[in-house]
Amino acid sequence: MPLSVLIPIVVIGIAGIAVILHLLGLTAPRRLSDTAEALAAWAREFPETPALAARLSADQRAALIELADGETGLVWCIGADTVARPLMGADVIDTEAGLDFHLHDMAAPHVSVALSADERIRWKEFILA
Amino acid sequence: MTDITYPDVVNYAVPFFIAAILIELLWIQIKGRGGRYETRDAVTSLIMGAGNVASGVLLGFIAWGFFMMLWEVTPLDLGTSWWVVALCFVLDDLRYYWVHRFGHRVRWVWASHVNHHSSQHYNLTTALRQTWTYTFTFMMVVRAPLVLLGFHPAMIFFVGGLNLIYQFWIHTEAIGRMPRWFEAVMNTPSHHRVHHGRNPRYLDCNYAGVFIIWDKMFGTFVPEQDDEKVDFGLVHNLGTFNPLRVAFHEWVAIFRDMIQPGLTLRERLMYAVAPPGWSHDGSRLTSDEIKAHHLAQRPEDRDTPGFETP
Repeated sequence: MPLSVLIPIVVIGIAGIAVILHLLGLTAPRRLSDTAEALAAWAREFPETPALAARLSADQRAALIELADGETGLVWCIGADTVARPLMGADVIDTEAGLDFHLHDMAAPHVSVALSADERIRWKEFILA
Repeated sequence: MTDITYPDVVNYAVPFFIAAILIELLWIQIKGRGGRYETRDAVTSLIMGAGNVASGVLLGFIAWGFFMMLWEVTPLDLGTSWWVVALCFVLDDLRYYWVHRFGHRVRWVWASHVNHHSSQHYNLTTALRQTWTYTFTFMMVVRAPLVLLGFHPAMIFFVGGLNLIYQFWIHTEAIGRMPRWFEAVMNTPSHHRVHHGRNPRYLDCNYAGVFIIWDKMFGTFVPEQDDEKVDFGLVHNLGTFNPLRVAFHEWVAIFRDMIQPGLTLRERLMYAVAPPGWSHDGSRLTSDEIKAHHLAQRPEDRDTPGFETP
C-alpha cells in the first residue's frame, strides 16, 4: 500500500478513535474512593513492601503511603488505572497547587498532586518524618 | 531467484484493524462487559503501532540487507510453491516463539518488547502497541537459519506479517474461550490474556504466536484459571502515556544501571543480558523471585499451573 494512502488512513483512524472514546466519556479521570483502595493499589505493585496507612489527596487522585519499613510511597491515578512508586530519592517540590514529585524514573518521571496548603504541610511532614 | 515479491499484508490490514477496534468498542459499550477502553491508553497504543510501521520503513533495510546477504551465500532454494510457504509459516512461528521467549528472559530484548506489555488494558489497541526498537535487539539473527535453509527473505517477511495479523484478534477480553480443539492447537484470546498477566502465576509463559503447541512442547504453557482473573500490565506499571518514554524507557534504564559506579564488568553486562529484574545487590526481583515470594506467602499454590517445580 502506498504511503500516500496508508498515512491518511492511520492519521484519520487514530484521530477518529480518540474522538469516539472521548465522546463516550472514556477520558474521565480515575479517583481513589478511600484509603483502602489506595492501600490495595500499593499492594498490587509492591506486595513485598507492606503498607501501614494511606493519606488521600483532596482530589482523590493520589495517596501518600506509609510503609512498614519506615519509608514512604506514592500511589496515583493514570488514565483509568493506578501506578505506585517508592519515594526514596525523589525530589519533592512545592507548587501553587500542591506538590510535584520528580521520581528520576524514565517510566514514571513526574507526578503533580493537588493539595490544600494544610494538606501540603502534613504531606511534607509525613514524607520527612 | 531474487526478484519475488509478496504483498505487504500488515499495511493492507490497517483498515481492518481500525474497523475491528470500533466493533470491539461497540460490543463492550452495548454488552457492558468484554474489556475496557481509556482514551489516552488507546491513543498511546495506536501511536506505538504507527511508530512501529514507521520504524520498519526507516530501519527495515538493515534486516533485509542481512537476509539478502545470506540468500546470496546459501546454495539452497526451496522455491515458492504453496507447501513451502506453509512450511515457512510454521517454522517462522517456531522462530517467533523463541524470539518472544528471549524477549521476556533477556533484558536487552525485553527493552524492545516491554512496551507491548505496558498497557494495563487488554483490548485490540493493545495488539498494536508494538516496538520501535526491534532492530536494535539483533533478533533478526534468529531468522538466519530459515534463509540458509532456502526460504526466500521476501517469503519470510510475508509469513511474519501473516503471523502478526493472526495475533491481532487474540488481544481481547470480548472472547472467552474458543472450541476445545482450537484451544489445544492455536494461540487464542484466553492463552494470550495469560501471557499479558502480571500476576505471579502468569509471568513468563505462553510465548506462542500462532500455534500454542510450542509452549506445550517447551514447558511454558499456563492455562487461564477461572479462579484467578488476569491483571494486565507490567510488574511495575508505567506512569506515563508519552510514546517516547513508552518506547525507550527500558533502554534508558539499562544504560543508567550499566554506568553505575563501583560495578564489575560482569555486573554491567548482566544488567543488559540477565532476565528483567536482575540487580547486582538483589534490590529488585526477577519473575522467578516474584514467584518464589508468592509461594512463600501462599504455599498452597505450589505445583499448580504457573508454579510447577521444574
